[in-house]
Amino acid sequence: MQAMSPTEPGAQTMTLSVGPQHSGSGHMRLIVELDGDIIVSAMPDPGYVHRGIEKIIELRNIIRSIPVIERPSIIDASNLNHAWVKAIEELQGVEPPARGQYLRCLINEMNRIMSHLYWLSIYGVFLGHTTMFMWPLGDRELFIDLAESLTGARITYSYLVPGGVRRDLPKGFAEEAIKRTKYFEKRLDEYENIFFKNPLFTSRAKGIGILTRERAIALGSTGPTLRGSGIDRDLRKDEPYAAYGELDFKVHTRPGGDSYSRAMVHMDEMRESSQLIRQILEKLPSGPVRRKAPIVVPRGETYARVESARGECSFYMIGEGGDKPYRARYITGSYRNLAAIPEVLKGVRLADMPTSWWSIDYWPVEADR
Amino acid sequence: MSLAHEREDSLVKTLKESFPSDIKEATVVRRSRINLVVAPDKIADIAVFLRDKLGYDHPSGVSAVDYNREGRFEIVYHLSSIKTRDQQDIVINLKESVPRNSPKAVSLVSVWPGVENYERESIEMFGIQFEGHPRPEKLFLNDNWDGPPPMRKEVRFPTD
Repeated sequence: MQAMSPTEPGAQTMTLSVGPQHSGSGHMRLIVELDGDIIVSAMPDPGYVHRGIEKIIELRNIIRSIPVIERPSIIDASNLNHAWVKAIEELQGVEPPARGQYLRCLINEMNRIMSHLYWLSIYGVFLGHTTMFMWPLGDRELFIDLAESLTGARITYSYLVPGGVRRDLPKGFAEEAIKRTKYFEKRLDEYENIFFKNPLFTSRAKGIGILTRERAIALGSTGPTLRGSGIDRDLRKDEPYAAYGELDFKVHTRPGGDSYSRAMVHMDEMRESSQLIRQILEKLPSGPVRRKAPIVVPRGETYARVESARGECSFYMIGEGGDKPYRARYITGSYRNLAAIPEVLKGVRLADMPTSWWSIDYWPVEADR
Repeated sequence: MSLAHEREDSLVKTLKESFPSDIKEATVVRRSRINLVVAPDKIADIAVFLRDKLGYDHPSGVSAVDYNREGRFEIVYHLSSIKTRDQQDIVINLKESVPRNSPKAVSLVSVWPGVENYERESIEMFGIQFEGHPRPEKLFLNDNWDGPPPMRKEVRFPTD
């Protein structure tokens, strides 16, 4: 990234460096060129939380890599974990038992809600809306507790392993989960009243930070960012994996392509995931949760992908028969959506910058890996 | 079952017929996955064909792989389609190989603007040059990084 250039005498624009100290969540920098308070161009400068995970996972066996895989997005750990075990299972030809598949979907949907809640709370911070900062973080605990009782850990579970999941449901989990999701959906109504219908939010989100349908496609956007531009794509439906083919749910889109549309997609998805959790518990088949899978990556290659909270998370994995992959290319939703940041910020007022770029739900750590 | 691969087979057939000498290999790996190995000097033409004629308008990523024992890098473009609804699940892996001692490839940013960041990452992590790339600068690494491209196979961790 080029060095910062100060404003030159007679120049029409000014360059501003935003970050790298937590401009949102996780360290990254935006280099913003301003004409008055209008953003002429914005260039993201990622890499402040780059850990070289693609290198690390080439050097460790596939089980020891699981906690590393989760680290880029600890608030969405199980979805990333799912992409990893899915790639391994595709190469091994191992199919987890049905109950294991359902439990994977269960923890995935809980993670989707937790991740969206975390995103929403930071959206609240960016708008100076303290209630919207506190409420989602508080309600996130509903699911953190459930996840803890299921996996033993609050956020980074390493719950999915090749062949299935580590543990079965604890006693009384279903009753508690049903109670909590019902309560949560009532809370979502309150969120709508206090935040999503509030002019404080709508006036700074409607019609601002536009990502058109055409640009969203060309830039390879994914997840809620893509669906917020009116494109009906969700891997849970498009290429059903685990138990998603047997579950009944809707893919939510909004046509606007603005910050408001992207925010509302998140809101709709939380509601959908909440009912999915109940549905999974109702349809949950009996039987084992795990099948024996060897600690080996057979020779071959695969491109495995799942729908994480921030969009498509994929592994392009090449195996040569050892206990570690020869190469495991790790592309996450945030990395995909990095390209959309300059697009949504162009022409936006500086004061609207935080809300516009955060509507993409860009998680710097997940993008850097 | 061959019936299950109808769409994939027809895609492969179209591609082979349109570029009989430039496509070295076109295979259906499994349902929803197609591998396409092409000549590096013709990749741009094939990319435009994939985007405009077959509707593969949505880039999902670019992977570089270091096959050091074979003395080559492989660059893989992962492509999906928004335009064609009934091919929502298909991913085409468009591959080219460049020699390890002079790794030069053509940038496909002009075809799929979304591959810009992935190509930039391949530049810094593998030392591959992409001709025509609009911003061949560091993406994740520090500007003052003077070590070897870290994702190359010969670069090891001190603890490894």
